[in-house]
Amino acid sequence: MGSVLRRLLFFFQRNQFDRDLEGELRSHEEMKAQALADADGMSGDEARAAARRRVGNPLRLREQSREPWVFATIEAFAQDVRHALRLMRRDPAFTFTALATIALGIGLNTAIFSVAYGVLWRPLPYPDPDRLVMISSAQQSETGVRTFSTWAPVSYEGLRPHVTALDHLAAYAPIDARLTGRGEPMQVPALDVSPNFFATLGVTPARGRAFLTGAAAPDDDGGAIVSDRLWRTSLRADPAIVGQSITVDGLPRTVVGVLPPAFSFRPVIRIGALPEVDIFLLNRWPGDTGTSAFLFLLGRMKSGMTQARAEAELTALVNDSSIAPAGALAMEGARASNVRTLAFTVGLQEYGTESVRTLLLILLGAVSFVLLIACVNVANLQMARLTARRGELSVRMALGAGRRRIVRQLLTEAVVLSVVGASLGVMLAQVAISFTLPLVPQSVLPRLGGIVIDARVMAFCLGLSLVSTLLVGLVPALRVGGATFGEGLALNAGATRTTGDRQGERLRTLLVAAQIAMTLVLLIGAGLLIHSFVRLTSVSPGFESSGGDGVVQTVRVTLPEDLYDGPDRMHAFARGVLDRIQYLPGVTSASVINSAPFGMMFIQGSFEIEGQPKPTLAAGTPKIDAGYFKTMGIPLLAGREFTARDTADAPNVAIVSERIVREYFPGGAGAALGRRVRVGIMSADGEWMTVVGVVADIRQQGLDQDVKPMIYAPFQQDRSGFIRFVSFVARTATPGSVVEGIRTEIRRAAPDLPIASAATMDEAVAASVAAPRFRTLLLVLLATTATLIATCGIYGLMAYAVAQRRREIGVRMALGADRRDVLRLVLTRALRIVVVGLVVGLAGAAGVTRVLQRFLFGVTPTDPIAFTIVTLLLLAVGLMAAWLPARRATRIDPCAALRAE
Amino acid sequence: MLPGTLEMLILKTLSIESMHGYGIAQHIQMLSAHVLTIEEGSLYPALQRLLVKGWVLAEWKISAHNRRARFYRLTTAGKKQLGIEESRFSQMFGAIMRVMKTT
Repeated sequence: MGSVLRRLLFFFQRNQFDRDLEGELRSHEEMKAQALADADGMSGDEARAAARRRVGNPLRLREQSREPWVFATIEAFAQDVRHALRLMRRDPAFTFTALATIALGIGLNTAIFSVAYGVLWRPLPYPDPDRLVMISSAQQSETGVRTFSTWAPVSYEGLRPHVTALDHLAAYAPIDARLTGRGEPMQVPALDVSPNFFATLGVTPARGRAFLTGAAAPDDDGGAIVSDRLWRTSLRADPAIVGQSITVDGLPRTVVGVLPPAFSFRPVIRIGALPEVDIFLLNRWPGDTGTSAFLFLLGRMKSGMTQARAEAELTALVNDSSIAPAGALAMEGARASNVRTLAFTVGLQEYGTESVRTLLLILLGAVSFVLLIACVNVANLQMARLTARRGELSVRMALGAGRRRIVRQLLTEAVVLSVVGASLGVMLAQVAISFTLPLVPQSVLPRLGGIVIDARVMAFCLGLSLVSTLLVGLVPALRVGGATFGEGLALNAGATRTTGDRQGERLRTLLVAAQIAMTLVLLIGAGLLIHSFVRLTSVSPGFESSGGDGVVQTVRVTLPEDLYDGPDRMHAFARGVLDRIQYLPGVTSASVINSAPFGMMFIQGSFEIEGQPKPTLAAGTPKIDAGYFKTMGIPLLAGREFTARDTADAPNVAIVSERIVREYFPGGAGAALGRRVRVGIMSADGEWMTVVGVVADIRQQGLDQDVKPMIYAPFQQDRSGFIRFVSFVARTATPGSVVEGIRTEIRRAAPDLPIASAATMDEAVAASVAAPRFRTLLLVLLATTATLIATCGIYGLMAYAVAQRRREIGVRMALGADRRDVLRLVLTRALRIVVVGLVVGLAGAAGVTRVLQRFLFGVTPTDPIAFTIVTLLLLAVGLMAAWLPARRATRIDPCAALRAE
Repeated sequence: MLPGTLEMLILKTLSIESMHGYGIAQHIQMLSAHVLTIEEGSLYPALQRLLVKGWVLAEWKISAHNRRARFYRLTTAGKKQLGIEESRFSQMFGAIMRVMKTT
């Protein structure tokens, strides 16, 4: 900073300095040459050469001569800084307002930028991360394009040897692993990976080695690589861990490597982010895994390769049926003749952050607005102060201070303000980040670990304070160059005070109106989000997550295949635990479901109603036990709930939801009873089940999701593996102790079974709206800050205007104007400014709010309610800010005001 | 040369009459009977230091040999400074002499 500024200031005088020195040295040389010629009788040329030799290196000489000046410039700068600080101390109200404004503006920008940079742009911790791509597919048909993220193992095996655009093509599949034998059984985020996974990422373990590839790969079957975090916690940082065995999913796995601490891999699937992976298991997916698609493909492009070329090659390959057999490409499988499959690539970084990119860019836009408003405000304050300091500055100019010197002084003041403000801002950002980051739900922002205020963020902040310096300092400073100042004004400075400074006044009015316009845009954005958040949270989930007789507590486990190899054992486990849970103290009712609402898991599939054409809708197909609807508080509309008699040997029964009745049984709920339905994943190929009941609809996946048709079947009658996922639900007034009770019962039934999660339904619902709540809160915070700053702006302008017009108002009052007239005079002026700002702001908002479209729920981007309320609010706030100075104006004593002149 | 003495010598020289850089160097050299040789590499930075401090002023004039040269002249502040330097120097000189004369 110092050296930059020093050079900048010296630059002003450098040309003159260089010219002078140049000339001086030349004349010195000539005189010396002359002397040599006179004394020793040298010829002219000889003498000149000798003189030049004696004078020495002119560049060095010039540098040496310049040095005193450069240091003097620093001294002058220090003097200016001291002067600026003195002025700041002398006017604490101004200083406080200006510093707070700048600190807020820069702090918010730094905070949001550090988040945006950390999440969106900080390079992934792998070598050449730009070359890493995720490979997805899309199927184009006349109904549109559908994209799929996953591939079948046969497709992967088919592609791998043929693709030339990539150095590596790796596959992975996220799984939940069960780590046992090391203390409490744990469910650990894990990844099945192909042998070349780490080679593709370019990562070498800190201990041990990566998986072997090629012909040696089979040697690592049963191998595992663990994260540094897992190694430090569960494995107690055992230095001899490599080569030892850990038990994953009931099988011994040999640890072949421990990853470096900085390594982090987060497989991103559809929603937000999954936790960081702790265990990597080698898997080569033998050919008998069929055509179901569950592999994510990660590629490292050859250097110099473009995504377009890689995509072209991959697309050609996937459409070659000898490489990728039909039906093996994606979940939907079948490749009809009219469907073309495209392979496309997305940068790994982009792939993981797509969900938050728009939000963060919007926030960045919003905070830039706040900074702009802040800068305008401070510039405005500076200008008001400048007018007040006109006397001082004019006198200084009359005493010989150059215009350049005065401008430099003003710029220095702006620099001091900005630097101090920016430092406060960075501290503010640091505090804000460390307080808010822990509150940010993981599903909202992936890569939270990457968010720190580092050199790059500081550089950004420095840039911001530079910009703000220019904005804050340049506008007022440039006006010094205008006609307003001059030596002539010094002596009659008193006289000019009453007429005011028309041109500056107009500019300041314009700036305040612009502030109001920008604030309105921000406020309307916040208003829209608030309105849609209110809409969203007022949506009923369809179940009663809490009520008179307690809250619903859920505890989820996943039954591992090695321990529970058939439906009977799973039934027995669920039955056994449930029988005991029902008698836990405080439990009024309890049941079991394989996919609890608002959970991660939602199993749906095709269904069919006997005697009706096949529906195109998919239905949720939860398996539940007796008492589920009672426990969840879902109303039964017709028929009966499941009972203990609906066992595996009893006739198959089902309960359908209202939506099914609405769509397929025009006769109402009663008409559905006794009819038969069947379900399946790909096609409805299960056994027929007789409908014995109808229940109300629920929003299974989230408040913002459509109501899905649901077909519930008894847990005990299920023959599929999908009851592997067991959620115990219990209604209780004492959720804390019940969780412990359920945990104990589960451990009693299965000592090695980790609890996957435990939460009340209230918590689950709250978590599902965490993202909208978070973004609403953020925008409200920004808009509030902007409003605060803009309010200060209006207040400052009006207070100043009143002070300026003391005499005029005094005259008016002396001539008989009463307080009401004075009040009206001031408020009308404020109203004019505010209204101009509001009109411009409304037009701007109508154009800008469209970017919020995808975050709105049940609200249009031009929602009249939000627009109206926010406009009125800002109008009220604006007038209120003008009210105080206006009241002060009414208290002006006409005599005193006139005498003062 | 002792540190700071060059500035003092320049100020002293300029207190007689305004002079250009070459002239200053010549003057000091001559009066000191060639004991003190003033290098351009230290003369010009010293002159700049004096300019910065406001003890001398510089202006372009025509020299006696009808040549354009930059002449330095002492300011009021410079005269005052010369007085300060002289008394400080004689103090210092006296002190050094006293030490040297002992034993």
